[in-house]
Amino acid sequence: MKTVLVDAQGKVTPAGSKSHIAYRFFVPNAADRLGVHFTYGPKYLEDQEKAKLLIEQGIEAYFEAEYLEQAKARWQSYLPLQNLITVSVDAPDGHRGAAHRHDREQLHVLSRHEATPGLAQGEIIPGMWEVTLSLHAIVTDVCDYTLKVWLEEEGTR
Amino acid sequence: MKWVACELHTHTFHSDGRQSLAELAAGAKNLGFDCIALTDHNTMTGLAGKEVIERETGLSIISGMEWTTFFGHMVTIGLDEFLDWRPVGPGDIHAGLSRVHERGGLAGMAHPFRAGSPMCTGCYWEFEISDWNDIDYIEVWSTTFAPVKNNNIRAFRLWTEKLNEGYRIAATSGRDWHHQDPTDDPLSVTYLQLEEGDAPITAKVVGALSASRASVTLGPLLNLEVTSRGTNYGIGSAVPGGRASGSTFVAAVSADFQVRKGHWKLEDQRYTLKLDSNKGILAEEIITSDAPRLEAEIPDEDLLWIRAELWGMVKGVRTIIAFTNAVYFD
Repeated sequence: MKTVLVDAQGKVTPAGSKSHIAYRFFVPNAADRLGVHFTYGPKYLEDQEKAKLLIEQGIEAYFEAEYLEQAKARWQSYLPLQNLITVSVDAPDGHRGAAHRHDREQLHVLSRHEATPGLAQGEIIPGMWEVTLSLHAIVTDVCDYTLKVWLEEEGTR
Repeated sequence: MKWVACELHTHTFHSDGRQSLAELAAGAKNLGFDCIALTDHNTMTGLAGKEVIERETGLSIISGMEWTTFFGHMVTIGLDEFLDWRPVGPGDIHAGLSRVHERGGLAGMAHPFRAGSPMCTGCYWEFEISDWNDIDYIEVWSTTFAPVKNNNIRAFRLWTEKLNEGYRIAATSGRDWHHQDPTDDPLSVTYLQLEEGDAPITAKVVGALSASRASVTLGPLLNLEVTSRGTNYGIGSAVPGGRASGSTFVAAVSADFQVRKGHWKLEDQRYTLKLDSNKGILAEEIITSDAPRLEAEIPDEDLLWIRAELWGMVKGVRTIIAFTNAVYFD
């Protein structure tokens, strides 16, 4: 049996960079598995003019004066600019890991016996759980995401 | 005490690396390392099964995590539990540092001047630091062929400035190693001087790094010893105060060109060994790998720290090749 606990879609913009979106949901009973499916896109900023502007702003902030021109001349070495949203999971009894990577579609499974890389295996216990989306950078005007969280019992998938 | 070749900044596919811990450990072993710290981004699950890998490779694996925050990346080592980076804002890093220290861990600034968001999210250090005593180490050499890179030169300068201000902070290298693709670039090694005895390796590594018993290099291992009033003081130790005015001490620098033999190569040349300090360069000598030593008598005046540096040509570039952490003066 599969019980959906979160089925959400959202839009974020560059204003949301460096913020977290937490989905807090109730797991009513112990279960065999918790599934998390997360997608976001677009992944890349395709607009080269906009990318150049963002990179030049970054270079102004991160380079010493004497290297500014040199760095700006090499602005293309920083392409492509990407959105980055990462997923982490917290159980009522503590943190269950994070998947800090660039994949725009991610399927995570947690159970007593297994967990996808970055997440920790452990009992799916009842109580308030949390899936956090960490918006490290949003560079496109709009970035859409979907998040689905569900419980599974043995023999189903 | 014993020098151990360490790689202190690594990743697996548990974050964004393209390697398992077993592949990483085998790669490190093949390069002549004795010890690595696994510092995956915001997770510690990559450490599962590390004891088996340690037994199979003979490599020591230290637990760690790179706090991959929005406002800076901070490498932490020596902790066996996850500490939450998410509540930490740009003004809150000392609260995070306290949590690391309470649990016996150490924290270092990772690649503090690498270009940050949106090119490399959070890579540039923006956290406000109100007390530099809380910073255990600065990763002054990041990635490969590190000493020629501008962001690393700036990090090295930051470290020197903090030493000049009287802080006792260690300096390390970290490859930020994500995959096993081959490279011809020179690789950095952080040698840590570990105590002998039966203490767990993690405790020994934390002990060495927190005491700045470190020497960083692209090849030869540099050592520095100060003799004051008949007593020897090694890297990371402090020469006690109360010294008579007008006295001198002897600083001895040596470079071991036999370490990790076959894993690095420098062209035959005349190197320069330097003794640097808060008062500037105190001594300098042209050396070869056959006689890699410098000994100098130094007037004991207003010194806070001294360190040794080895300079020479690497891939056609004149650069610093190795440096020791400091000997301090109370």
